[in-house]
Amino acid sequence: MTTGHPADNDVEPIDREDKREDGIDERRPPTVSPSHLIEAVARREIRTVVRTPTFALLAVVLVAVLVGITRLGGGARAGYVPATADLLTPLELLVPTVAVAFGYRAVLDDARRGELDVLRTYPLTPRQFVLGVYLGRAIGLLAAIILPLLAAMATVALTETPSIRFYATHAGSDSPVLFLRVIVLTAVFGLVVLAVAVAISAIASTIKNGLALALVALVLLLFGADLALVSGLNTDLIGDSWFVYVLAASPNSAYRGLILESTISVVSGTGPRAASPLVSVFSLILWTVVSLIGATVAVSRQS
Amino acid sequence: MTDTPTHTDSNPNAPISNGVDSTVCDDARCDQPALVAAGIDHAYGDVNVLQSVSLTLPSGTVTALVGPNGSGKTTLLRVIAGLLDQTGGTIRHRNHDVVRSIGYLPQQPAFRPGFTARETLSFYAALVGADEDAATKHLERVGLKEAADRPVEELSGGMIRLLGIAQATIGNPPVVVLDEPGSGLDPGMRVHVFDVVGELAANGAAVLLSSHDLELVERSADRVAVLDRGRIASEGAPTEIRDCVDADTLLQAYEATVTGETGTVRVRGDSS
Repeated sequence: MTTGHPADNDVEPIDREDKREDGIDERRPPTVSPSHLIEAVARREIRTVVRTPTFALLAVVLVAVLVGITRLGGGARAGYVPATADLLTPLELLVPTVAVAFGYRAVLDDARRGELDVLRTYPLTPRQFVLGVYLGRAIGLLAAIILPLLAAMATVALTETPSIRFYATHAGSDSPVLFLRVIVLTAVFGLVVLAVAVAISAIASTIKNGLALALVALVLLLFGADLALVSGLNTDLIGDSWFVYVLAASPNSAYRGLILESTISVVSGTGPRAASPLVSVFSLILWTVVSLIGATVAVSRQS
Repeated sequence: MTDTPTHTDSNPNAPISNGVDSTVCDDARCDQPALVAAGIDHAYGDVNVLQSVSLTLPSGTVTALVGPNGSGKTTLLRVIAGLLDQTGGTIRHRNHDVVRSIGYLPQQPAFRPGFTARETLSFYAALVGADEDAATKHLERVGLKEAADRPVEELSGGMIRLLGIAQATIGNPPVVVLDEPGSGLDPGMRVHVFDVVGELAANGAAVLLSSHDLELVERSADRVAVLDRGRIASEGAPTEIRDCVDADTLLQAYEATVTGETGTVRVRGDSS
């Protein structure tokens, strides 16, 4: 990636031959558009994802687990919202795991091979590189998350009794639209954790290091944040009125809150607020942006 | 040294204003330098690896950097390639109207597995706005046409190095920095690599490479810089280096120029 050397534009360039002896004529405008650069990096990542059997295997495992839970938990027969309730906790565990698997070596492998050094000699900024890596991996991750959830949705549609005929949502009614919300929110949750994983990948210096950091992040995301919240409640550090807002602090609890508010509470009717959707959305955006900024800073400091 | 280190695209004809080297380099004398490094210092903590190194890379020439292991060659190449910040001195590029100002081959090139040689080079070509055809031409130039569709993990060490050289020339950079391009190759492949390097220079690039093969360096390089203990001990055309110490070969000149015992790797910092 370019190291951002300041340029003096008033300097006379060396005259170059129009056509070189070897016939290679690559004279191009001195800039390549940022979108083109990001796209080039993203395409490379998509190819990597497509050609890595582990990622396909993860998606297959996710299909089997989600469809299995949907059928065995009774959600398939009871409807979309009961299925959501069955899947929520497994999704909170599985989606971060899959997202970390997709992202924790994304930058690290290039750094270990020395390709980051080589990329620094190209007109590619660390920001463009990180964005390209993130977008490429995100496309693969979205496929790995959405397809299994669609399979679970199809399971409900095929086995539910009686068949659901509502396609609009209103209080008290189960609907496929509610499950579509789950799919969208779960995809967003995966993208947030992917950003954290890419940041870990950029910070880590070895595979072992990256794996250890990824595991620490997973444990913190999956259990640490919730334990801290419970502890805060027990010690009155977090007041009752603030609880729904503080719940949004970790990606996991923000995701859970959004699912509860946008899907389960719709059917279960009135009751105490499970979360603040606005704060939860803001939290997810913040986690993503801060992680990607962290990854960009880490990449630009590597040499 | 208190100079602010800079790594800029600038006019080498203008005086270097950091006080390290105030030489005005005119075109006639410097044969169109593509890059001028002046008074470069680099330190890893307290260890001074490079001390006031000045080097001019004229366009259309091959400059070989030779020196004992641990003399600072790779550090100097990385500083010139912009991968390490110098702690003192300036580096000035002449060319601006190029999409990529420096091409770089690391000492141990490696590429993402699962991609063919052509796909790998096409990715790098895309970063300079070029297409797959350009990538293919670069592969042909280094002699990898037949292996273009082979996955990189199935390429031999020599082929990987050739792919690395092809990568270093993507975007037609005016300066190409190659860290031991002939390392680990059989004699035939090594000669081929140096032939490719010669072609790059013939096409107008300023090539800077490091090598321990003094015979090939003597045959192929237009200029040689002998780096010893982080300083340029001798610099000039191979004949000038030889004549300086009245030696018959570059190897003899090298042995006469470099201090210390051969066969002993110096550990920098112990004596500085």
